[in-house]
Amino acid sequence: MIQIDPAILSRVTKPARYTGQEWNSIVKAPESVEASFVLAFPDVYEVGLSNLGFKILYHILNSRSGVAVERAYAPWVDMEAEMRRAAVPLCTVESFRPLAEFDAIGFTLQYEMSYTNILNMLDLAGIPVLAAERGDEHPLIMAGGPCAFNAEPLADFVDFFILGEAEEAIVDVAEAVAAWKKAGKPRGKTGILEKVAAIGGVYVPAFYDVAYHGDGTVKAVAPNHAAARPTVTKRIVKDLDEAPFPTEPVVPYLDIVHDRIMLELFRGCTRGCRFCQAGVIYRPVRERRPETLLKLAQELVDSTGYSEMSLTSLSSADYSCLHDTVRQLIDRFKDQGVSVSLPSLRIDSFSIQLAQEVQQVRKSGLTFAPEAGTQRLRDVINKGVTERDLEEAVGAAFKAGWSTVKLYFMIGLPTETDEDVAGIAKLAYKVLDLYKSVTGRRGAKVTVSVSSFVPKPHTSFQWYGQNSIEELERKQRLLKSLLRDRSISFSWHDAPVSFLEAVFARGDRKVGKALLAAWRRGARFDGWSEHFRYDFWLEAFAETGIDPHFYAGRERAATELLPWDHLSAGVDKTFLAREYQRALAGDSTADCRRDQCSACGVCQGLGVNVVDWGAGA
Amino acid sequence: MARFRLEITKGEEIRYISHLDYARAIERALRRAKLPVAYSEGFNPHMKMAFASALSVGVTSDAEYLDVDMAEDLAEEALASRLKPQLPAGIVLNRSRIIVGRPAALMAVVNLATYRITLPYGAETSADGAAAAVRRFNEVASVSYVKESPKGRREIDVKQYLAEPVELRQAPDGLELAAAIRITPTGSIKPVEVLSVLTGDFGLPGRADGARINRTGLFVSDGERRLTPLEVE
Ligand code: SF4
Repeated sequence: MIQIDPAILSRVTKPARYTGQEWNSIVKAPESVEASFVLAFPDVYEVGLSNLGFKILYHILNSRSGVAVERAYAPWVDMEAEMRRAAVPLCTVESFRPLAEFDAIGFTLQYEMSYTNILNMLDLAGIPVLAAERGDEHPLIMAGGPCAFNAEPLADFVDFFILGEAEEAIVDVAEAVAAWKKAGKPRGKTGILEKVAAIGGVYVPAFYDVAYHGDGTVKAVAPNHAAARPTVTKRIVKDLDEAPFPTEPVVPYLDIVHDRIMLELFRGCTRGCRFCQAGVIYRPVRERRPETLLKLAQELVDSTGYSEMSLTSLSSADYSCLHDTVRQLIDRFKDQGVSVSLPSLRIDSFSIQLAQEVQQVRKSGLTFAPEAGTQRLRDVINKGVTERDLEEAVGAAFKAGWSTVKLYFMIGLPTETDEDVAGIAKLAYKVLDLYKSVTGRRGAKVTVSVSSFVPKPHTSFQWYGQNSIEELERKQRLLKSLLRDRSISFSWHDAPVSFLEAVFARGDRKVGKALLAAWRRGARFDGWSEHFRYDFWLEAFAETGIDPHFYAGRERAATELLPWDHLSAGVDKTFLAREYQRALAGDSTADCRRDQCSACGVCQGLGVNVVDWGAGA
Repeated sequence: MARFRLEITKGEEIRYISHLDYARAIERALRRAKLPVAYSEGFNPHMKMAFASALSVGVTSDAEYLDVDMAEDLAEEALASRLKPQLPAGIVLNRSRIIVGRPAALMAVVNLATYRITLPYGAETSADGAAAAVRRFNEVASVSYVKESPKGRREIDVKQYLAEPVELRQAPDGLELAAAIRITPTGSIKPVEVLSVLTGDFGLPGRADGARINRTGLFVSDGERRLTPLEVE
């Protein structure tokens, strides 16, 4: 057990990030379990503890008597400096044991710009960052989460990945590790990797060789080991209603990012936005029953004491029984001081009506995501929203008393012209004018938040060459020049960050070298603008001879073998290619949730069904 | 309708949480306990509860006090039996009682806080040096200290806040200082500030940032008698 010097804790910001003891956290005696794991989140405590996936896995693993799972987070830079100075290893916030003492450490990959934090956390734990330098005396390093669908940039560092929903796979892994330990670790690390490679959804990169063409593109990814399958396909929970849900989540002392009950209504989203990776990798839609949700909600309120409950899902407003469920939740919990909130709104007046009921009198700002400024471009990305929808929704919101609206857009989308960029500004002004015509006065506040499009693997735009940094910045300047009204505030993302995100989102194994070099130079917390050091990255690419533009800005040929083609989300590449063609032609594709199947392949391929209680169930 | 006054602790487990975090933890415990706590009116209702005094990050306490209003009548024993199982590690309910009438707010009556400051033994420890430093500090009539806060710099006299001389003793785990600090309508001084004056200006051996500070009591004092908020009428 590591005891951090009080002098250190008194110097760092938010020391409670490191001292644990939260309500509902679970501490088991190490000698009482067969296998012990760490769920390691490569960002600060307040971000990490907000993650629903980790709450689920914490609950599943700890509910097994033979297994202990604890948590670790990336120490903030001030704490890292203290730890390095005093040689304090990274430890968990339950038993405060060093990470190196555990059997396996699982990282979640939510965002490419957290990759350097993974290396940094391993290093702070005294564990070699390169998988090849770790033996059976070291913990196994595993990773999951959305970015695992292109595991290649991390292939040098991570022993194995779990693709897709890990509810069941993590139990298989835990049992395999416990059995391997019990048997005296036969054949060492290779022995356990062979065992886990046999588990559905598990990808062991060391069991595959990658060959390249002369031009640097991938020629072949082939198993080099009998335990490895040519393609690893994601795991999926067929019946979400039966799936375990964490009804006793850890309740922090610190004010974390999502400091409230998170009730997951359903998984998956098939609206089919062509830029969206989550919309592909979580297919198909599977809802929980309203009765199940009410029961879970009650248990969560009882066990946490939270005063707020957020109904989370990729597009919560699409839940088939939303209205009824929301009403019942509000009714049941209002006397206990618990409010209900919806994180995302659909752009329609139904959503406004609902937001009105949910928010009661409080009129915080409303957020909408038209994503693109013109109808033409919204058709390209299959964002099924018209200008009328937006006008109606915003108009209804203004009538209902809201005056602050936040609009999310992207620039750099395929086929985008300056007219589309200018369309963003037009839409913002339209919203301002709408307020005047609805209320008869000025005073609306519109926030325009513009991110730069990053093409993601397993999406219809996975072939698309990203706009260059210069082009993105030119479009940002163009927008800035058009948004001159003081009632409109404009925010945008750093283009160099989006560029790097694109490199690692669609990188192959070679980019891992640049990642290592950048981390060695000091890159970490790259997703935090105050710590982002583009110069470290440029030096790292130069040193390793890796051309980042090859990964970010190059339009890939339809025939090209993509670095992640052996990792499957169950959705056919032919479907994605078809969707890309439809996008370029401006054709839309309907949501298969209540409309017809668009033959993406996931239901047939994985033997699952769309579960939607509103669709005649 | 009843107002409960609670005496609770802030233990070692949660030493590093802020006062706001501490208050939130208690609100959540009250909600888990399903106690009929009264809420304020308005857009953003909050529990009607009030603390005697805020406690800094890094400071533990043997006795914190808060008043909680209940929307319904509740037996004195019911509060304890329902709340205790819901309190997180580091928070213990010592005692509680129903307050009758409408007494002044806790914050307005509590005027004295006592602290125990432990400086762990180390290479720099010198019992004689410490005794001399504390003696000099106790003997001088006034000590100026510049308080830095977001609101600006302000020079104050440390001694005006000390109700009695600082005491020193050798405990098993370190040198222990006992201080009684006045809480006045115009302000107070933090124990860590008293300590930094002692180590900085008076040569007390040891480092202020390595000390463990514990609030041993909060009182309503008339200069002679000290009553806890549970004892005042
Ligand atoms: S197979 Fe059809 S129904 Fe199933 S998710 Fe894909 S498009 Fe939707």
